[in-house]
Amino acid sequence: MIEVDQLSKAYGSTLAIKDVSFKVEPGEILGFLGPNGAGKTTTMRILAGYLPATSGTARIADHEVHTDSMAVRQSIGYLPETPPLYPDMTVEAFLYFVARIKGVPIGDRSQRVASAMERCNLGEKRRILIRKLSKGFRQRVGIAQAIVHDPPVIILDEPTVGLDPKQIIDVRNLIKSLAGQHTIILSTHILPEVSMTCDRITIINQGRIVATDTPENLTARLAGQLGYAIEVAGDPERANSVLNDLEQVESVTALSGEGLAENHYRFQLVSATEDDPGSEIASAIINSDLGLYELSRNRVSLEDVFINLITEDPSTAEEDDSETEPCEAVVDDDPENDDPTKAEAEPDDEAALVAAAEPPTDSAADPADQTPEDSAEQDTPAKTDE
Amino acid sequence: MNSIVTVISNIIAIYRRELQSYFASPLAYGIATIFWLLASFLLIILVFGPQGLLEQSAFADQAGLQSAPLDLPYEFTQFYLGLLGSLAMFVLPALSMGLYTDERKQGTLELLATSPITNWAVALGKLLGVVTFFLTMVLPLLVLEALIVGASDPPFDLNLLFIGHLGLILMAAGVLSLGMFISSLTESTVLAAILTFAMVLVLFVLEGVASGLEGPLGEAISHLSLLKHYSDFTQGVFDLGGFVLFLSYAVLGLFLTAQSIEAFRFQRN
Repeated sequence: MIEVDQLSKAYGSTLAIKDVSFKVEPGEILGFLGPNGAGKTTTMRILAGYLPATSGTARIADHEVHTDSMAVRQSIGYLPETPPLYPDMTVEAFLYFVARIKGVPIGDRSQRVASAMERCNLGEKRRILIRKLSKGFRQRVGIAQAIVHDPPVIILDEPTVGLDPKQIIDVRNLIKSLAGQHTIILSTHILPEVSMTCDRITIINQGRIVATDTPENLTARLAGQLGYAIEVAGDPERANSVLNDLEQVESVTALSGEGLAENHYRFQLVSATEDDPGSEIASAIINSDLGLYELSRNRVSLEDVFINLITEDPSTAEEDDSETEPCEAVVDDDPENDDPTKAEAEPDDEAALVAAAEPPTDSAADPADQTPEDSAEQDTPAKTDE
Repeated sequence: MNSIVTVISNIIAIYRRELQSYFASPLAYGIATIFWLLASFLLIILVFGPQGLLEQSAFADQAGLQSAPLDLPYEFTQFYLGLLGSLAMFVLPALSMGLYTDERKQGTLELLATSPITNWAVALGKLLGVVTFFLTMVLPLLVLEALIVGASDPPFDLNLLFIGHLGLILMAAGVLSLGMFISSLTESTVLAAILTFAMVLVLFVLEGVASGLEGPLGEAISHLSLLKHYSDFTQGVFDLGGFVLFLSYAVLGLFLTAQSIEAFRFQRN
């Protein structure tokens, strides 16, 4: 239903997305997951025909989104990042207006508007001016305008932003109820959202797709590996490099230090193998004169997979594929690539770590065999894969 | 055939939404109120004020100057509509400034640009909406005019008034259309208003510029002047050249708006 092939978009010299490819089958819900600034909105806008791509193609219901824009516009419902609302209209009048410009036949309009309002729980607000609505209700009106004409394809850019927990659950249920007759692609940076609503997840980071799979398969990628939360005191960069140097640790992520004592830092680790690295981590920290305040084992969650994928990918790509290096450099310049400790620690250390960790991981497989396979998969950093 | 129906339905949808937003906007009411107050004030001064038409006429009667009687209806229409035209020049930029800047600020441009509706249909719907609103601003003034027309002796030639008002609306359509184009260029309402006002001034003073220039260039420029063609209309002359010019301004504005919205989608970052 949606076919995206090698889509790239550059703003000036900055690449917002690079070679993005994925497919969405009819009736499926695809979650488009990535940190802020990863290129989610850009991809959504290209799909909706609002922005032209720099290269590559995107097809919706067999129409190219740019060259055949009018046909595509007829078959999509689109909720942009900020819900497009006219503040001086009532909810009902606005939905009538949208139904009209979306080409809903005159006889069906009142029924379609009523059904959209009912699905989004807007009945009691139908005669209220949109500017008087709270953020949550506005978001719901935004969703209602995306479904009012009953389009086969629905594109939702961050549909649950600004909603309270109860409303989030309502919206998730709404999205689930739309599956089947509708093909849905929704973007979010909230993990539980995709794991609860989506059939498949595409993870995007720094403009590139790093994985596309079902939530179960994604979690299974790290199955067997262990997560550790750790709190240390001392120089954070030193702690980061010490932890990264450990053979038994696959990834290190600095967590927010909120609520911690001064000079204390938290990290989340994922082990490289099934062997428990607890004692190695503890002794490494203590041997390097850092204070160890907490070390707790936790289950590997989808969150770890996500963090693992988005923090590790640049180094893997750099190691595997020298071709992409210029693009990588451009993307790294992106101001939204925030965390300095992460960025600094990763490329070299991680590359070395991956190289060192790989042969012992799977002694049966020849390391030489592994490398080309990795580059073929390109964006699959899960080292437990055969 | 079906597609024409769709396009017309789209234009009507945009038109109605646009009108509805004017009638819901306190700013639009404010602009209309100022326009009415000033226009009726000017009308009263023009007729009853010192050196007003009545006083002039009385003076002429007293002096017994029968040789060149004042054609009061004619004088009245010309002065009054001339003033109304100048007043409109201040008001029109305020009406057109929000046409697209608001769409951008509300993010609704993204809705329009991803709906099966063409840019020019949106622009045309908006233009018709704002021209209609201007029309409703002029309508109440007709009451005042009717009082004067009713009391007039010799009786008024209503054609004279009709052609004058037609000229006013046509000129407004041209200016509003160009103003709409300017508002499609920026996200700032204030900037759109200032630029549109500057453009109106330029179009207004073109005649002054033209009269300083000799030859075909001067003549060409003077043809572009709003004031020159508008004053033909206020004299009760249906000026075909003016009609075409105002219409051309309107079409040009529509065309440029549609183009600029298309270009905006390609350039934005």
